[in-house]
Amino acid sequence: MTLLAFALAYLAMAALCLAMNRHHRQLFGDGPAPRRQAGLRLFAAAALLAAAVLDSLALGTGIGLVVWFGQFMLGALLVGLLLAWRQRWLLPVGALVAMAGSLTALV
Amino acid sequence: MTLRQSMAGLHTWGGLLPSWLLFVILFAGTLACFDKELERWMRPALHEPVAGSMTADDVSAWLRANVHETLHAYWMHGPTERAPYWKLGWEEDASEVRGKAAFDPRTGEPMPETVGGDFFFTLHYNLQAGTPGMYIVGLAGMFMLVALVSGTIVHRRLFKDFFTLRPQANGQRAWLDAHNLFGVIGLPFHLVLAYTGVAVFVSFYMPAGAKVAYGGDPLAFFHEVQGGYHRNELDRPAEPPVPLSGLLADARQRWGGAELGWIVVEHPSDASAVVSVRRFDPSRIGAPQDALSYDATTGELLHQQQAPAGYRAYTWLAGLHMAQFGGQLVRILYGLLGLAGCAMLVAGTGVWLRKREARDGRGVALVRGLNGAVFFGLPIACLALLWANRLLPETLSARGAAEGWAFSLGWMAVALLALGWRRTPARLTRTLLALSALLALGLPVLNGLTMPDGHLPASLARGDLALAGVDLVLLAVGALCAWRAWRRKPEPRDASLPTEAGVRTPELSR
Repeated sequence: MTLLAFALAYLAMAALCLAMNRHHRQLFGDGPAPRRQAGLRLFAAAALLAAAVLDSLALGTGIGLVVWFGQFMLGALLVGLLLAWRQRWLLPVGALVAMAGSLTALV
Repeated sequence: MTLRQSMAGLHTWGGLLPSWLLFVILFAGTLACFDKELERWMRPALHEPVAGSMTADDVSAWLRANVHETLHAYWMHGPTERAPYWKLGWEEDASEVRGKAAFDPRTGEPMPETVGGDFFFTLHYNLQAGTPGMYIVGLAGMFMLVALVSGTIVHRRLFKDFFTLRPQANGQRAWLDAHNLFGVIGLPFHLVLAYTGVAVFVSFYMPAGAKVAYGGDPLAFFHEVQGGYHRNELDRPAEPPVPLSGLLADARQRWGGAELGWIVVEHPSDASAVVSVRRFDPSRIGAPQDALSYDATTGELLHQQQAPAGYRAYTWLAGLHMAQFGGQLVRILYGLLGLAGCAMLVAGTGVWLRKREARDGRGVALVRGLNGAVFFGLPIACLALLWANRLLPETLSARGAAEGWAFSLGWMAVALLALGWRRTPARLTRTLLALSALLALGLPVLNGLTMPDGHLPASLARGDLALAGVDLVLLAVGALCAWRAWRRKPEPRDASLPTEAGVRTPELSR
C-alpha cells in the first residue's frame, strides 16, 4: 500500500512538473494547453490526497503523514533528477512504480 | 539594502562557514538511521540469527561476577528484532567510570569490543567530543535553520525552478540548480530535522530558566518534567534482590504483553535500590515514557510514570527526529532525504566556488581543500572504520579505540592529501573517487573471505535483508564512485586554461 502511495506521489509530482511550460516543452516540444494544464494540476492534487489517505490507512495517521511527506519529497527529487539526465524515462518510471504499487497493494 | 540583498550575504557566508561541520552532522545522522543494522554487521556473532536463552538475571549475574566496584547504577536492554542481543552498561559509584558489554546470544559471554553503529550516532549529536561537541552541533543546527530561512528569501524563483536541474549549463548555474533542487524539494525535511534536532537538547542549550526555578538542581527539574521517580540512598547495605524476571513479567502483564525497553537498576548495593522498567514501543512517533519502578529487595511497585503533556510533546518532537518508528520504511526515507541534505551542502559550496574560481578569488583553494578533506574525508574515514572492524583481531584489547584510530587516521590522511593537492582539484577528485571505490567494493569481498555467516550470498540466501543491505549499499556506492572516477576527464595539462577554451583551438577541434 505504501508503494502505491509512493507511485501516486511520484505521478502527482510528475504531473505538477508537466503542467509547467518549460518542462512540458522539454518532453513534448511545446507548452501545455490551458485545459491540459488545469487537468494535470487537478490530477496532482487528487493523487497527493489519495497517497495521504493510503499512507494513513496503512500506518495510522501520525506515521502515515510523516511517510507521505517523505514520499512526495523523494518523488519530486526523482522527477527532477530524471528530467535532468533521463527525461525520456519520466513517464515509463511512473508507469512502472504504479504497476508495482498496484500489484503489492492487491496481493 | 533590500531584504533580499541582506539575506544573500547572510546565506552565502552563514551557509558556507558551517557547511563542512553540517556535512559531518548530516552524513553521520544519515548513517545513524541504520545504526543497529551497522552494529549487527560489525558484530560477526550476530550475523546468523539465533534465539538466545539469556535472561536479565543472567546479565546481572555476569555483572556481579565481573565488576567488583560499588555501582551507582546499571542498565540493560533485551534483544529486539533489530538488535538481537542483551546489552549492558554500568557506572561505578565513586569514580563515575562507565563500562559496557554486549552479549553473544549463543554463549552468554561478552562479544569482542567494537564501537559499533553507535559511533555514527554519537558523531551525529556531539562529534565524539562530549558536552562541548553537543554545543557545537547545536550552534551548527541554528546556523542551518538560519541558512534554510534566508535561502528561501534569497531564492527568486522558488516555484518556477522547483524541478529545474541543468547539469549541462555553465558551472555556477548547474551547481545553483542542484543546490536549489535538493534544498527546496527537501525543505520540509531539512527544516523539521534541523528544528527538532536543536530541540532535543534544548534544556542543555538554554538551562537558565530551569536553574533559577529549581535552585540549581537540574535533576529535580528533569524529575518533575518527566514525572519520573527517584529514591535517595539510605546508606544501608542491600538485602538480596528479588529476581528481575519476576519484575519484568509483572511489567509485561501490566502493559498487556508489551515489549520492554531499558531496565535500570539504581544504586544496587544500597537498601534503597530501585529497578525501573521502561516500555518499548516503536509503533508511535514519540516513544512512550511509561516506566514502572519497583523496590529491588521486595519487588513492591513503587511508582508508575505518567509523562505530563508537555513532556509528551517534547518526546514527540525528539521521536520525529530520531526515526525509531514506522520500521525500515521510515528509516530508508530519512536516509535518502538525509543524503539529499548532504547533496544540498556539497552543491552549495560548489556555487560559492564556481562564482569565484573564474576571477581566482581569495580562499578558493582553501575551500577546495576543505571540500576534499570533508566531503571525501568523512565517508572514506567511515569506510576505514569498517575495514578496521573486519581486520583487527578479536582478542585485541581496546579494540574499539583502535577502530576509532582507523577512522581518525583515515580522515587525517585524506585531509592532508586534499590540502596538499588543492591546486589540482581534478586530480584530487579522481584519486579520492578511486580510493572510495576501492574501499567500498573491497568490503563485501573481505566480508566474503572472512565471514562464513555474514557474507552477501549467505545473508541473501537467508532473506536477511538488514544485513545484506549493508553490503549491497557498499557495492552500489563503490560502483558509483568507480564509474565517476573512470568517466572523469584527466587534469588538463595547463591547469590555468579551462578545457572548453582548449577545445576551441583549431588543431584540437579538427
